[in-house]
Amino acid sequence: MAPVRFLVAAVKILLVEDDHETSAHIVYALNGEGHEVAVCHDGREGLESARAGGHAALIVDRMLPGLDGLSLVRQLRAEGNHIPVLFLTTMTGLSDRVEGLQAGGDDYLVKPFAFPELLARVHAISRRGVGGDSEPIRLRAADLEMDLIRRTVQRGGKPVELQAQEFRLLEYLMRNMGRVVTRAMLLEHVWDLHFDPRTNIVETHMSRLRGKVDRGHGGELIHTVRGTGYMLRAD
Amino acid sequence: MRIRFLRTEGFRLSALYAGVFALSVVILGGFVLVITNQALRDQIVTFSATDIAAVRNGFASEGDHEAIEVVHQLMAGPANSGFYLLQRDGKVLAGNLPAMPTRIGTVEFSASGATHSRAVLGVGDFLAPGLYVFSGSDMARLRAVEAHILNVMLILFAVALLIAAAGGALVSRGFLRRTDAMARTCHDIMQGDLNLRIPVRGTRDELDRLAEAINEMLARISALMENLSQVSNDIAHDLRTPVTHLRHRLERARSDSLTAQDYRVALDAAIAKADEILGLFAALLRIAQIEGGERRAAFAPVELGALLTQMRDLFEPVAEEAGDALQLATPGQVPIRGDRQLLVQLFSNLIENAIVHTPRGTRILLSLSRTEGRAVARVSDDGPGVPCEEHERLFRRLYRREASRSQPGYGLGLSLAAAIAELHGAAIQLIDGPGLSVEIAFPLAAEEMEKA
Repeated sequence: MAPVRFLVAAVKILLVEDDHETSAHIVYALNGEGHEVAVCHDGREGLESARAGGHAALIVDRMLPGLDGLSLVRQLRAEGNHIPVLFLTTMTGLSDRVEGLQAGGDDYLVKPFAFPELLARVHAISRRGVGGDSEPIRLRAADLEMDLIRRTVQRGGKPVELQAQEFRLLEYLMRNMGRVVTRAMLLEHVWDLHFDPRTNIVETHMSRLRGKVDRGHGGELIHTVRGTGYMLRAD
Repeated sequence: MRIRFLRTEGFRLSALYAGVFALSVVILGGFVLVITNQALRDQIVTFSATDIAAVRNGFASEGDHEAIEVVHQLMAGPANSGFYLLQRDGKVLAGNLPAMPTRIGTVEFSASGATHSRAVLGVGDFLAPGLYVFSGSDMARLRAVEAHILNVMLILFAVALLIAAAGGALVSRGFLRRTDAMARTCHDIMQGDLNLRIPVRGTRDELDRLAEAINEMLARISALMENLSQVSNDIAHDLRTPVTHLRHRLERARSDSLTAQDYRVALDAAIAKADEILGLFAALLRIAQIEGGERRAAFAPVELGALLTQMRDLFEPVAEEAGDALQLATPGQVPIRGDRQLLVQLFSNLIENAIVHTPRGTRILLSLSRTEGRAVARVSDDGPGVPCEEHERLFRRLYRREASRSQPGYGLGLSLAAAIAELHGAAIQLIDGPGLSVEIAFPLAAEEMEKA
């Protein structure tokens, strides 16, 4: 199987992680995508580096010597620093996710994780940082058009009838156009599910959505990325 | 050891009561003393006045001679007051007292006798200008009565103290026996036997209530300990199996693989196995965490009708693909308090069970009703069901039915569901035939109870 290409411009990422094996693992994954990674093994050192700036995203572990991850991010946000943040944590905490987001994190990833999961999430949050705050009214991909105010979808000028959750699923794909989104990302953001279901929820909903959006309309827009997730791409 | 009861709360209390009782004896005794003293003095004064009246009568009828005669008679008489004096211008005419200053009315003085001085109380008056008469009595009688009363009081005081001390010792001994038993049980529990309980007498007194509270605490602690040791046991024993399988796979890959493609396939399989093991770890930890109860702090109002509608929308396409039908019957809004994410996981587990463990063409029904102040949610199917004798085992961690061994899963779905239900104070039960129903009875949200 060919390695997944995430089609994102290489950026510089700051990683604050005290475990050397984990940090080496993450650096390896990000380097493979062409990203440059600066590593700190201590919370205070991490805070200084983040303050210095020049990074497109910050990956920070919850548990750190010197200064814990939550405090580090709270401090950055208090100083008006809007760098996109991805929290890393061990699998134990049930309330950790909420705490992380409340502290100002943009996303949350539980260790251990697969490479594609990490890459997809880093790309998703680093885009958020560049996009600014202006909320779009319409999303467009080739001849697919979504009106976020009227909550309508058209493909090639013809209306496409979608259920509420199909609309949310398509919206998430379109907002992340050109980027891989994983099953876990879809479960979390579209359905607010934070566990691994035993049935193929994502696949069946995606298949229904494709039936309405792609089938019978010229080019295919929703692509399956094997072993990882999906990507909406207009090429 | 012997006088340890002196330091008990029971003894302190009885000592306090004894003190209060003794004080009341003293106050009462003092009161009696004052009253008696006054009454005796009044009596002496009355007698003396009567004597003086007799002397005055004698003097009025026959002058000095008769007055002297009356005094002599009084001194010889049986009911005499004791001391008499009749004097004219400081010269004693009759009586057994030396000449004295002429004071009229009630007079108290001390008379020095041959051997000792004595206190005298009496009445003095003039019969005619210069002729003074006095009649009085020795106060020794009064002092004797006072001394008698004091003696009685002292005896009463001592008896009261004795009774209080004995009672206190008795009460404290009983108290000590029970607290000693409690302390002994606590020590035995510290030695490692968490199943011991403090004896309760059933009298509902303070010690019983304390014992019950401690017993409840012990029950909670031992439940948590059991939970903890269950998890460590699961990890120690049941995780060995998948880790062993992983090891076998890697060993076989090393000996069998010939090409890079072979290695890739073997490694993918090994990663999948490792993910499965990590997933099992995560699920066990999650159950332990939920059973720990920490999530209860994050409870918020949750509307079960909307939540089940969301579950239907989520799983309806999945059920359809599996050839099953998923239906929903709710009576509108049914609010409870809970953790939305955990409730979603609870119903997902039950619905996925119904989809995965039944043949194609099964009908699955999500229903909700209100009965007796409870919100009763049901996930039922018309599949082959599970025999009643197996129901209890289904809730056990890592238990998997023979028929479902080939399906994905860890055998933790129902244990997790039960843990989430318990966290919400809900009763979960399986109902057999036709098919299988899982029923969860939640307590309604408080504001809803008030409406009902």
